[in-house]
Amino acid sequence: MGLYIGDKMMKYEEWSKLAIKVSKASLWMLHFCTGCGAIEMPPVMTSRYDMERFGIAPMATPRQADVLLITGYLTVKTLRRVIQVYEQMQSPKYVIAFGSCTINGGMYWDSYNTIKHLEKYIPVDVYITGCMPRPEGIINAFIKLMELIDEGKARGWEKYQKYYDKYKENQRRVFNFEIEGENEEY
Amino acid sequence: MKSIELIGKGKEMHGRAYIEVMPDELENAIKKLKENGFNHFVMLSCIDWLEEEKFELVYHLWSYEVKEHVMLSVRMNRNNASMPSMSHLFPQIETYEREIHEMYGIEFDGNNRLTPFLLENWHHAPPMRKDFDSEKFVGKLYESIPFIEEDENEGI
Repeated sequence: MGLYIGDKMMKYEEWSKLAIKVSKASLWMLHFCTGCGAIEMPPVMTSRYDMERFGIAPMATPRQADVLLITGYLTVKTLRRVIQVYEQMQSPKYVIAFGSCTINGGMYWDSYNTIKHLEKYIPVDVYITGCMPRPEGIINAFIKLMELIDEGKARGWEKYQKYYDKYKENQRRVFNFEIEGENEEY
Repeated sequence: MKSIELIGKGKEMHGRAYIEVMPDELENAIKKLKENGFNHFVMLSCIDWLEEEKFELVYHLWSYEVKEHVMLSVRMNRNNASMPSMSHLFPQIETYEREIHEMYGIEFDGNNRLTPFLLENWHHAPPMRKDFDSEKFVGKLYESIPFIEEDENEGI
């Protein structure tokens, strides 16, 4: 299987490597607007910060998008929808997580129904710190993601395929609020 | 204030009328207020008084005629708390009762729609009760879920 460029045939592996490298120049994003991060997106998209300078454009559906943006805290109920969206996206796909809430729960660290570490349920390529991050921070994260793609380090989607069973087990546990080895009432 | 005159007790509190009633007086009190212009049911809220072993339900009503906010407060025991449903007076009370049933575990007799509302797959104690140890729960559930480490020898 391959692709002819002139007389030379490119092998599939070479071609997919090239395709991944080139795709960094046109990252199409799907912003899953949960929490407060959604309010930081309009200035990034519109003329003031203008993310299209970097080839980043908002997309309407998961199937057209390369990057999934999680813009804040996630309840267990929302996480179920995020995973549905993530699994609909086509590889290669990347995840950028916004703010303290996706890193360790942020100000919802002791809430009974928000997840604390997004990384346990879907692989995250770039985290943005802050509560909330500034538009500059968001653009910076995209630039960082481009660098990682270039170096071949943004491989969360491969990790998800490889450790699919482990991710599914974590997701199942949190969806059912299942506490291991006990049925104690709280 | 008009509502205090109508019910015959209560006090003014931050510009609102605050009236404490017994559970068996509640239905008549709401009916009387509704007939006399307090025909906007604002909301139903709940407070957990852990030390006093009581739940407090607050029925908020508003009158457009006299522009007055009245809070009808009912207290009940914390153990096996139950109240007669008031959804026949204002239909929207049914939804508030569903929420309070889910978050505090109070039974509302006569409301047959007390099904799961906001929480999905929840099977622990009602989470808004003061004796629900949220921090401990977080430790046992969210913190116990492992990170997915890559096998360094294999790579991906």
